Amino acid sequence: MQLKRKRSIGESLATATCSLLGALPAARVQADESGPWQAESALLYYAEDGDRVRDISFDGALSYAFDEDRTLRLNLTLDSLTGASPSGAVPANTVQTFTRPSGQGSYQVPAGELPLDDTFLDTRVALAATWSQPFGESSRLSLGVSGSTEYDYLHLGVNGRWERDFNQRNTTVFVGLAYAQDQIDPVGGVPISFAAMQEAGDSSSKDGSNETKDVIDGLIGFTQILSRRSLLSVNYSYGRASGYLTDPYRILTVVDPLSGQPVADPAGSGLNLHLYESRPDSRTKQSLFAEWRYAFDRDSLALNYRLMHDDWGITSSTAEARYRLNWSASDYLEPHVRYYTQSAADFYRTYLVDGEPLPANASSDSRLADMDAVTVGLKYGRRTRHGEFSLRLEYYRQTGNPDPAPIGVLTGFDLVPPMTAVIAQVGYTFNF
Amino acid sequence: MSAPAPAAAVELRREQGYWRGTFVAMANPCEVLCDTDDAVLARRIADIAAGEALRVEARFSRYRDDNVVHAINNSNGRTLSLDAETAHLIDFGATLWRLSEGAFDLTSGVLRRAWRFDPNGQLPSPETIGALMRHVGWQHVQWRNPRLTLPQGMEIDLGGIGKEYAVDRVVTLLQEFSSAPILVNFGGDLRATMPPRASPAWHVGIESIAAAGTAERVIELRHGALATSGDTRKYIEANGRRYGHIIDARTGWPAPRAPRSVTVAADTCTQAGTLATLAMLQGEQAAAFLEREAVRYWCLR
Repeated sequence: MQLKRKRSIGESLATATCSLLGALPAARVQADESGPWQAESALLYYAEDGDRVRDISFDGALSYAFDEDRTLRLNLTLDSLTGASPSGAVPANTVQTFTRPSGQGSYQVPAGELPLDDTFLDTRVALAATWSQPFGESSRLSLGVSGSTEYDYLHLGVNGRWERDFNQRNTTVFVGLAYAQDQIDPVGGVPISFAAMQEAGDSSSKDGSNETKDVIDGLIGFTQILSRRSLLSVNYSYGRASGYLTDPYRILTVVDPLSGQPVADPAGSGLNLHLYESRPDSRTKQSLFAEWRYAFDRDSLALNYRLMHDDWGITSSTAEARYRLNWSASDYLEPHVRYYTQSAADFYRTYLVDGEPLPANASSDSRLADMDAVTVGLKYGRRTRHGEFSLRLEYYRQTGNPDPAPIGVLTGFDLVPPMTAVIAQVGYTFNF
Repeated sequence: MSAPAPAAAVELRREQGYWRGTFVAMANPCEVLCDTDDAVLARRIADIAAGEALRVEARFSRYRDDNVVHAINNSNGRTLSLDAETAHLIDFGATLWRLSEGAFDLTSGVLRRAWRFDPNGQLPSPETIGALMRHVGWQHVQWRNPRLTLPQGMEIDLGGIGKEYAVDRVVTLLQEFSSAPILVNFGGDLRATMPPRASPAWHVGIESIAAAGTAERVIELRHGALATSGDTRKYIEANGRRYGHIIDARTGWPAPRAPRSVTVAADTCTQAGTLATLAMLQGEQAAAFLEREAVRYWCLR
């Protein structure tokens, strides 16, 4: 065919097709591409039992496909946290007085209760952008930037991911790299490691106003289609964080070796002796993850397992199962269950003992304790005219073990009480 | 039309609310999606689809020695009188030859002997192509429906339109048989009768029909057909150029600077597939051609 011919052949072709098929002309085709925009939105509510942390979080993403290959995705997260979180101190059989992190004012905790710091309140805004494009014949490249800010924390990061298909797209290999630089500006200043908590108005335990940390993460893995029904995905990741990794608000109570009672600050502050925690200035994590997915006639199943180890001495295992029950063309139900277990960090201490030499590092953060957690959840999804609506409900329960074992009066308290939380999320994804 | 042949190896499964019948025909994975709660009906529909696909394959495949195409290709210059269905296909091919000014040609199949399409394949020599081109050209064929005279040494190949024709045949048969919403997909060339009950349209991933290794984009097909020409895996890379597997019958070479693949939406699968192939034959002007035809298309370069 030559360019000079500008007449459409559509009509001749339609006539020829009719006589070929021996049929009346077919109805006009109605095909449309879903719009280049995709919007995802989710509203999440998280609530721990008692008066502990509550989080309302909005997550929105907007993707724009420039053509078949190039996509830009923008992500916005807004978090609003309220409630109280454990300060790290242990209960006592007397009323205890603590200074607020700001150094302005104090609060009291009744006898026998786990000390919670109720000044915990935060709003976080996070933004991220990711650009994806092909990179050669069967490779793709994604590059992203991220940033988030909250009243005492600033995060900036970059990330990249490259993937390539082999073996008629039955095998995909991927490599990812991410770098982040964070700045921490604790309210009331950065506490000196193992300095004693001072009375309100006394800032002698604080030194400087901010600290930084750098995090680098690498990922390598593959996805292999095993059969028409199953696929396997495996990855290994390595992460190294260095800099200020300490929780600036967390304290450890120093107790009497016999009675288990908090000792009074020998410097005469009038408070019991609570020391600001101290963590190593680097952490190296490695993890291995495997997921197997299987499609039944109607439903599908995903099983995954993650083994993580870090040089703080934590080894954790996570096992998760999700079953997607497609009970109609437009509705599905997805129950899931997850089990998590970890060993304690080498420097985890529920409390410190008076008269014993200070360890190089110590933290009373229960997330570094020997602990187990179970999550059970159910998600319901429904495809609508323009998108998909989903509702997710989850129940989470975490139990931990104190270390060292309780002594004296501490034996009468639950030093690492179980924590339960409920999570509810509604989501809506649509194209336009 | 004869009754559908008994279908071999049709797998039928309930998937996300649809019945999905799958089988292999014309060297392609084939599927029929059927929006019905009636398992018996779904089984009948899948069997009719597979039966018709295998019938079309058996009748018009050039890889068999017991069908009409074999008879034509071994007629050694004798005149044959063709049955009505074959004559309709030949008529259609002759029309395409005329509409494409010779770029599409039922006799170009012999060129496949010179072209082996894989990324490490070798380019044929101009001498090889030149020798084969002596056996290409519809102008040498005498065709007056139903009588065909094919010169000795020439062959016809209906592969360029067979799959799309099979999709349309199956849709026509199924529309007579059932009013359930049905989508027929033979190796990425597909046609839907009407939208499924729970959704305004069938959602067809463009990745699966147009391109390997690209982001998934979704086409909402209410009814009508989509067909793709070009294959992101069947090409030769040589001298820094990419040679796709749609060959211009006038030159014996792939149209220069053709897209990697073209997907077209049209009323029937045959029209969609034809427009996609004719667009590929326009090479660099593929998109301009499709614009002129005022059809929905997706061009991958």
